[in-house]
Amino acid sequence: MRTLVCVKRVPMTGGKMVLTADGQALETKHLGFTISPHEECAVEEAVRIGGEVVVLTLGPAEAEEQLRDCMAIGADRGILLRTDEEWDAQSTAAAIVEAIRAEEPFDLILFGNESADAAGFQVGIRVAHALGLPVVTGLKKIEVGEGRVRCERDVGGARDVYEAPLPAVLTVLEGLNLPRYPSVPGRLRAKSKPLAVVESARPAQRLEKVRLVVPEGQGKQAEILEDAAQVVAVLQSLGVA
Amino acid sequence: MILCFVEGDELSAQAVGFARKLGEVRAVTFAGAYQPAAWAQALAAQDAEAIVAPGSDRGNELLAHVGALLDQPFAANVIALDGDTVTRVRWGGSLLEEARLHGAPKLLSVAPHTQPAAEVGEVETLDAPGAGSPKVLERVEESSGGVSLRDAKVVVSGGRGVGSAEGFAIIEELAGLLGGAVGCSRVVTSAGWRPHADQVGQTGTKISADLYVACGISGATQHIAGAKGAKKILAINTDPEAPIFASADYAVIGDLHEVVPAISAELKRVRG
Amino acid sequence: MCGGVFARRALFLTRLVVDAKPLDRPGDVPRRVVAEAEIVLGQKKLLQRLVPGLMHAFIFWGFIVLFPTIVLAAIDVAGGAVGTPEWYRVLSDVFAVLVLVGVATAVVIRKVVRPARFAGSHLGEADLILGLIALVVVTLLLWHEVGGIGFAWAHLIVIGVFLAYLPHSKHLHIATAAVNVWMARTRKRGRLEPLRFDVPDEELRFGVATIADLTRKEVVDAFSCTECGRCQDVCPAHATGKLLSPKLLIMGVRDQLFAQSAEPIVGNGVPEDMIWDCVTCGACVEVCPVSIEHIDHIVDLRRSRLMVDSSFPPEAEPMLRDVERASNPWGKPQTERAAWAAELGVRVLEPGDPAPEYLYWVGCAASFDERAKKSAESTAKLLQKAGVDFAILGPREGCTGDPARRMGNEYVFQAAAEQNVATLNEQGVTKIVASCPHCFNTLANEYGDFGGSYEVMHHTELLAQLVDEGRLAPVAGAGSITYHDSCYLARHNDVRMEPRKLLNVIGQPVEMKRTGKNTFCCGAGGAHMWMEERGSQINVERAREAAETGAETLAVACPFCTVMLDDGVRENGSEMRVADVATLLAESLEA
Repeated sequence: MRTLVCVKRVPMTGGKMVLTADGQALETKHLGFTISPHEECAVEEAVRIGGEVVVLTLGPAEAEEQLRDCMAIGADRGILLRTDEEWDAQSTAAAIVEAIRAEEPFDLILFGNESADAAGFQVGIRVAHALGLPVVTGLKKIEVGEGRVRCERDVGGARDVYEAPLPAVLTVLEGLNLPRYPSVPGRLRAKSKPLAVVESARPAQRLEKVRLVVPEGQGKQAEILEDAAQVVAVLQSLGVA
Repeated sequence: MILCFVEGDELSAQAVGFARKLGEVRAVTFAGAYQPAAWAQALAAQDAEAIVAPGSDRGNELLAHVGALLDQPFAANVIALDGDTVTRVRWGGSLLEEARLHGAPKLLSVAPHTQPAAEVGEVETLDAPGAGSPKVLERVEESSGGVSLRDAKVVVSGGRGVGSAEGFAIIEELAGLLGGAVGCSRVVTSAGWRPHADQVGQTGTKISADLYVACGISGATQHIAGAKGAKKILAINTDPEAPIFASADYAVIGDLHEVVPAISAELKRVRG
Repeated sequence: MCGGVFARRALFLTRLVVDAKPLDRPGDVPRRVVAEAEIVLGQKKLLQRLVPGLMHAFIFWGFIVLFPTIVLAAIDVAGGAVGTPEWYRVLSDVFAVLVLVGVATAVVIRKVVRPARFAGSHLGEADLILGLIALVVVTLLLWHEVGGIGFAWAHLIVIGVFLAYLPHSKHLHIATAAVNVWMARTRKRGRLEPLRFDVPDEELRFGVATIADLTRKEVVDAFSCTECGRCQDVCPAHATGKLLSPKLLIMGVRDQLFAQSAEPIVGNGVPEDMIWDCVTCGACVEVCPVSIEHIDHIVDLRRSRLMVDSSFPPEAEPMLRDVERASNPWGKPQTERAAWAAELGVRVLEPGDPAPEYLYWVGCAASFDERAKKSAESTAKLLQKAGVDFAILGPREGCTGDPARRMGNEYVFQAAAEQNVATLNEQGVTKIVASCPHCFNTLANEYGDFGGSYEVMHHTELLAQLVDEGRLAPVAGAGSITYHDSCYLARHNDVRMEPRKLLNVIGQPVEMKRTGKNTFCCGAGGAHMWMEERGSQINVERAREAAETGAETLAVACPFCTVMLDDGVRENGSEMRVADVATLLAESLEA
């Protein structure tokens, strides 16, 4: 069994979003970094499935930290497609496909359902198409059998069960499992696991970022609601009533 | 012509509303079991300037497939399109991105609850011959019944202000009406009014709801750490100085024992 | 023969100590001598409880005075002609009687009073030992007063039996207590021993999993426990119905040590829950008459479970991840760390800025928690008013790592420590004033191990100094105040006078039952701010004790105590106000 897990280094926000002066990126000077919870579950699942586990990311040199974190909980080696720029989903998928083709074939390729920051919902699906592999998304359970994988997807109060032949591409959601906390021996051993760095040049962007904008009204004071009718109006505007 | 994928839900009506702004809309849907790759193939085969879908799990998934099939860019969770320039939601709504979409047809999913819903009108059912993609073998009903705290779209939570285990009846009623889950603060589990599984906080469950309703919760830092994943927070508290208001988007200053039943009653009234 | 039995056991025990991991505790001989004089000879810790203290002191001093009688009896038996000098015969008789009084008192305590602290101790063994002690002195008195070689023989035989039995019983402390007191910390009592991570692959074991990992001090600790249960009596976890008893924990380690068990200690000698119940308040260490350092055992056991087995109470995981990735235990954005200070115009140090006289180390709670922020605001206002040159690090101040370290995650702690030390040294910081006693303890006692040596004060210390110098002039009027001593100030760092000095000026202090060195934890220490509590709640118990004083205000000097006790007060439905000493002081100046 050989599994590839694709992850993305993202800053830990949670407060007011502050942009860099050129409006091209988040100001991350004092922020910590992580991978999204979906991807943490994907790595954990791959390690539980067993066999060789490779983690791949497209990102800056610092993303080695996230790859080492994945190796600390059991991934065997890492591939870093190094770039200092942010790539759109289509070119990200193309770069991943190229990296996969340079490797021995994988039985399973795992992604988070969507990235925490860009939330494009598409890299895994594009990779599957390019490689001619079946793809199932939004998974909360994976069972690998002989040449097949059985997986389950939440559909509001029920689970849809899919089966796909291997090799396959799967995208997963948080809640798939409970990722383990890295042990210190794991972390120390991860430091010397193999990491391949591939310099990557960004192609022309077809979803070309112009700038980022912080939406109005962020960080302002709570709006006071006077009565139940106002509350219900808010509930309706949020689509939850 | 703007092709718009719809299902019979609120988000589809919003997608149609968005699509109408772009041009004449042809609303389409599919019959039978969900087969994303096959459905996407049928969508990709239509002639359209743009293909629009609701920003739901299915809408995003279908357009990702279409994008892959046609080798076109796909912009997810869009709130506006002006010429080639799309504005889309990132970071769960806390950041917007303006980007040029160099593609034809334009593939756009519509960010939920950012557009007014429109009358969907006539819907055409497209044929989707199976394309050998993975399909649903079976559907398993969840045994637990209720929605889990972590996945719930709405969480209605009670704190010390609720006063007793029995006091949670009004919280449960409101959560039920909103199709959400019941949560609570650490004080409540310490007092034994609710099980630890219901606790929202750093040491309980970290939620990711669209709306968090905090009733009679003062807002300890460890509690906020579990609630901050919610897109919006509505706090109900008698104490206008309660720390929870510093993290809330909406505030009702009043006694939850009056406010919560009033909201439930108003919801029932509005729904008729 | 008795000597042989004794020697064989002594050899076995000595080997256990020699084989254990050495502990690098530097000389500090004068302090160690003082500790021996006070704790061993002076029986200082025991005499904190008068009756049992005197009981033990009589027996102990008696043993010392009576020691030569062994030699004298042996000479008598051997037909020697030395004889006992009259003055010594009288003296030893007096002490023999005192020993008997001590034994009788012990019997009354054990058989009539039966305090709860003995729960779980080996009671039969204690009876046997008391019996033997009584026999030793009775035979002595008979030898002295009735005379005859028969009683001398009896005296020697009883002593021989006692000697043979001693190292097989909890009475081993007679031989090891003085050694244990010698080996105990003499300074920086709040400091934990650092671990090294640059070890070869085959040595990737951290903390204590089995007896093979124990330090020499931990082994002698285990030998020295007399099962007196004073630690259990003062343990806030035990008092609130949790599984932890520091006494049973040490006994568990000892049982496993004597059994030479290769099994993990946790789950065998020591139940898993025990190690996680601890709030590291140090009440057990403070009260122990033989200087056992329970916290080291607990943290070492936690270290192995957490760092090697990744097994710990799961609710604490977000805290550990957030300390590591977000530099604070709640995952708050560091960019908002100085938000509380923006309106006050507090200087935020940028790289390259000249160092202020004092670096104000705010701490995560006072930076982010709505309730605890008031303390930071008050402290900053007071320092401004007194014209103190200070600044904060703002977004570059990271969690000191204390909760991770006390939780057993030395790895995450050291990364945090190295980062903070680098920032502080880069800025040329020499003096620090800290609001949080946990930060204070870490900065003052632990960062030295990572290249960070600063003069660190708690804000109450600096504020008291400013009042002394007349730079702040508070006025009375705050009403009745009871002060809650934080464990990491009062016990681990001996800061008890300064907060009281301030409160004396601004209100009428009333003391709680458990106060000063004997304070009772708020429940948040040892990373318990981020763990769920089993049993009743420590903070509620403490808030009840505070309310019993009838004071209007409960003054605190720690942001975690603030949050915990404010919760506790509300839980009890009390009207008492919980406020930081700095806040009360600031109000008295505004009045």
